[in-house]
Amino acid sequence: MENIDLLLHGFTIAITLPHLALMVIGVLLGILVGVLPGLGAPNGVSLLLPLTFGMQPVSAIILLSSMYWGALFGGSVTSILFNIPGEPSSVATTFDGYPMARDGRPTTALATAFGSAAFGALVGVILITFLASWVAKVALAFGPAEYFAVYFLAFASFVGMGGAPPAKTIVALAIGFAIAAIGIDTVSGSVRLTMGIDELVKGVNFVVAVMGLFGIGELLIAVEEEFHARAVSSKIEWREVFRALGRLPWHGVALLRSAAIGCWMGITPGGPTAASFMSYGIAKRFSSRGKHFGTGEVEGVIAPETADHAAGTSALLPMLSLGIPGSATAAVMMGGLMIWGLNPGPMLFIDQKDFVWGLIASMYVGNIVAVVLVLLTVPVFAALMRIPFVIIAPLIVIICAVGAYSVSNSYLDVILMLGFGVVGYLFKKLSYPLAPLVLAIVIGDKAEDAFRQSMLMSKGSLGIFFANRLVTSLVVGGVALLLLPLVLQVVRMLRGTAPDQAKPEEMRIT
Amino acid sequence: MISRRVLEVSTAALTGSFGLAVAVSSIENGIGWSTAGVDSGTFPFLAGVIIVLGSLYNFGRGALTGAAVVVSRSDLRRIAALFVPAAIFIGVIPAIGMYLASAGYMFGVLALPKHQSLLRSLIIAALTPVALYVVFERLFLVTLPHGALAAALGF
Repeated sequence: MENIDLLLHGFTIAITLPHLALMVIGVLLGILVGVLPGLGAPNGVSLLLPLTFGMQPVSAIILLSSMYWGALFGGSVTSILFNIPGEPSSVATTFDGYPMARDGRPTTALATAFGSAAFGALVGVILITFLASWVAKVALAFGPAEYFAVYFLAFASFVGMGGAPPAKTIVALAIGFAIAAIGIDTVSGSVRLTMGIDELVKGVNFVVAVMGLFGIGELLIAVEEEFHARAVSSKIEWREVFRALGRLPWHGVALLRSAAIGCWMGITPGGPTAASFMSYGIAKRFSSRGKHFGTGEVEGVIAPETADHAAGTSALLPMLSLGIPGSATAAVMMGGLMIWGLNPGPMLFIDQKDFVWGLIASMYVGNIVAVVLVLLTVPVFAALMRIPFVIIAPLIVIICAVGAYSVSNSYLDVILMLGFGVVGYLFKKLSYPLAPLVLAIVIGDKAEDAFRQSMLMSKGSLGIFFANRLVTSLVVGGVALLLLPLVLQVVRMLRGTAPDQAKPEEMRIT
Repeated sequence: MISRRVLEVSTAALTGSFGLAVAVSSIENGIGWSTAGVDSGTFPFLAGVIIVLGSLYNFGRGALTGAAVVVSRSDLRRIAALFVPAAIFIGVIPAIGMYLASAGYMFGVLALPKHQSLLRSLIIAALTPVALYVVFERLFLVTLPHGALAAALGF
């Protein structure tokens, strides 16, 4: 099979000493940002971006994606040991992971979490290996109208399936589009939306938004919740690690179901956070021990962890083959791709075979490196949590300020970053989703260009979006997703039940 | 101290006024269809209109939500304790530069509320700009702002 050959070629690129070293560095940095509340994968990857400008794109993406895996694992460590989710996507892991650790089974909880996380990631990578090039092949036939329809479908699925209130998702998306439009219009060359501030001509970089929204915003939420790091023992008993891993196959059904949910939520831009909550909820409903969930049930750890990593991994599939990132972190990575001069989308699979297959192969290796490293370093990073938050918090503020400044050596960006921080806090507090906002900032321009090009081709007729079967079904699918929340509400009203209020755990979905 | 209703309504007002500004400002770029294709103001104008409409809906929904307190007085105090020094830190960067500002910020946050001993605060405050210099100016080759003060002194 052609894919296998290409994958094997990819391994020859991924398994070289410099790239393995980059994976180790990336994973360790990733665990670090994953463990620290207030710094997450999107921030961490943005912070590393300037470092990658001088690198080969394939080395750069290996570093960034390894950081992503590290952050996904790191978030689970604090969830289990301290009941503090280091990442929004590991909130659901606290429900059963922390009770397990508290009752004297920290090693079991950690090993189960890492084992199922690795399984989820593996399923995600296998999916990418076999599906990505096929999707890219289909996408090669796309014209601007099809592209716009795909973007539309992506945005619509946030509204229909993102889990946040639809009106808030729409506002977040549209704000992202408006921010993407600031600066020089690529088609006509005219200056837009600078509101009289000359410096805004260069536009607002997504890194600035990410630093504020996820960095400062998350910090303000964290300081408000005033957590106390009450560590349970963080000693790893190696025999128990293997025993816990050996028991995983007994939960095969839960593993497969959670991986399927994760892959689905990753490819359609639901994101890892929504995936882990959904998977936990479904596991609770279907597990024979569902009643015991919340008290330290093994499947309560397996379900969110598998889905989290499956979603995080498969979020790279649409990024690579269509140029549409499936999560906030994937959006940041895609911004990196564009900075390195690569054009995310199907042409990558033809022009940049080494890049694509090197990355895919590195995902297999990187996840193994991540599991080993995270197990070895649990005590080190657990000790890090004992540094008082009063020291960590200002350090994160400084890092975010420097990160925003370093994008284009502009002080205005630092001020904007702080503004985004306030917005991030308000949005998180009121369950406005942040991922669609970032996604719209990164690909808003491309969606607009696709729309305007198709309008030029059709001389202003919207009929081009219904010109053939493919584009019609994409548009109809998008409209259906947009209308889904409305339909559900009508159904609920007909049944005579009030629409349920936001559940407490939904508040934290980003 | 701040109820969910107040927070919802003011956030919706904030997003709504942003949307309005976007919509109004894109009219200058021209909206609609011209010989050159879709005018450059069209897309942002639509985005602005959608923001306004969505914000109006959220405003209405927000006004109907309960008055349960979501940010208590002590929450507010903790948020201010983080945010106000951070804003001051960012505010003084153009004058005294990133290095002095970050050192002063660390020292102020640690020593003034007596979270840490004076000596420890001093050490951390001194190490921060050194770390910034090594990582960014040396490794990443990013020049951080040195500030008007440094310029006046001839650095």
